[in-house]
Amino acid sequence: MKTLLICPARRPAVPLLAEDRPLAALPILGEALVAHWVEHVAGLGAKEVRIVAPDRADAIRAIVGDGGRWGVRIEIIAAAAESSATEAASRYRSTDEPGWLPHPHDFIVMNHLPGATGSNLFESYAGWFSGVRNWMPRAITPARVRMNEIRPGVWVSRRARVHPSAQLNAPCWVGDQAYVGRGAVVGPGAVIEDRAVVEQGATVIQSVVTPDTYVGKLTAVANSLAMGQTLINWKSGSSLRVPDPFLMTSLARKPKATARRARQAVGAALGAFLPLNLLRTWNYRLSGRTSSLKPPI
Amino acid sequence: MKIENLGERLTVSEISELTAVNSGQFRERVGAALPSASGVVEIDLSQTQFVDSSGLGALFALYRSTGNGKNVTLRLLNPAPEIQQLFELTQMHQLFEIVQR
Repeated sequence: MKTLLICPARRPAVPLLAEDRPLAALPILGEALVAHWVEHVAGLGAKEVRIVAPDRADAIRAIVGDGGRWGVRIEIIAAAAESSATEAASRYRSTDEPGWLPHPHDFIVMNHLPGATGSNLFESYAGWFSGVRNWMPRAITPARVRMNEIRPGVWVSRRARVHPSAQLNAPCWVGDQAYVGRGAVVGPGAVIEDRAVVEQGATVIQSVVTPDTYVGKLTAVANSLAMGQTLINWKSGSSLRVPDPFLMTSLARKPKATARRARQAVGAALGAFLPLNLLRTWNYRLSGRTSSLKPPI
Repeated sequence: MKIENLGERLTVSEISELTAVNSGQFRERVGAALPSASGVVEIDLSQTQFVDSSGLGALFALYRSTGNGKNVTLRLLNPAPEIQQLFELTQMHQLFEIVQR
């Protein structure tokens, strides 16, 4: 059986969500949105999944790979713009092509989570937060052996580190390799994504802390999305670039491309400097005269 | 930065930013003008574009120098939404009365 998943393009209502990655790649309770959908359609019997990606197709490809993880075959189609389900049906499916999942699972725009058609994740920051919070009870699947519901409404990864004095108030989620420090308060309505750090005495209520985000000592994150250095109040829609990293920052390593660019810049600088230095050495030796300048190394 | 002393009311306004660059000057000038007995200190942040940890430190020093706000009422007026967010993140909004006029 086949199905086609359509990644949402950037949405004007939530510009900051798409700053670092395409919307379909946003992490929701430990998995990217697109991964939740592939898992869902695989469960419905899909064996061939086509994904139309109008924004940064490489990032989507990096997440889903060839689909072997879910036992499906995945083809990524880079597109210039987002299609509606109807447009995609006419563009990507020939009329006599058999073997598609039944409607509405044949062409899906991933602007909501599976089974949550009424809640659009990208109509506002509040919509995103509400979608993530409401997904908590549904996020545990048999494949996610690391997550554990330690008491009703409190999900904690077996690889998370939570200080015994920290308060976890349901509903809340503490993801893989996350850290919650002494006396911290998490929840109600809090999601601490994978590898996030909530320091000693910090409070996270009705908020999402995205992966690799550091929340400093005694800070209070409420009604917000904490994404690296960016804090978005999902109620008011206002956003803040937190000026001091000890309050909030990103712990993610810089992408390799950036590191490579930095190495190239250093290489170029050395390249420009070394010939000049060699030339100076050569001149110095040829002239055989004493220079007021020290000889180059 | 403009400081007006109207008897028991001290108003500080025209603060374009409160950062490491000017937080020392803010502490000195406002500290010197603080009312000796009870009164009201209003910091007008309507023109303030940026506050960092040094600025937060200056406000906290003001809070401490007024007996943790017991002797003097401390008000922050009209902070921009992102600066209000910073106060909430650092829980400074619990020390000051924040007023939108």
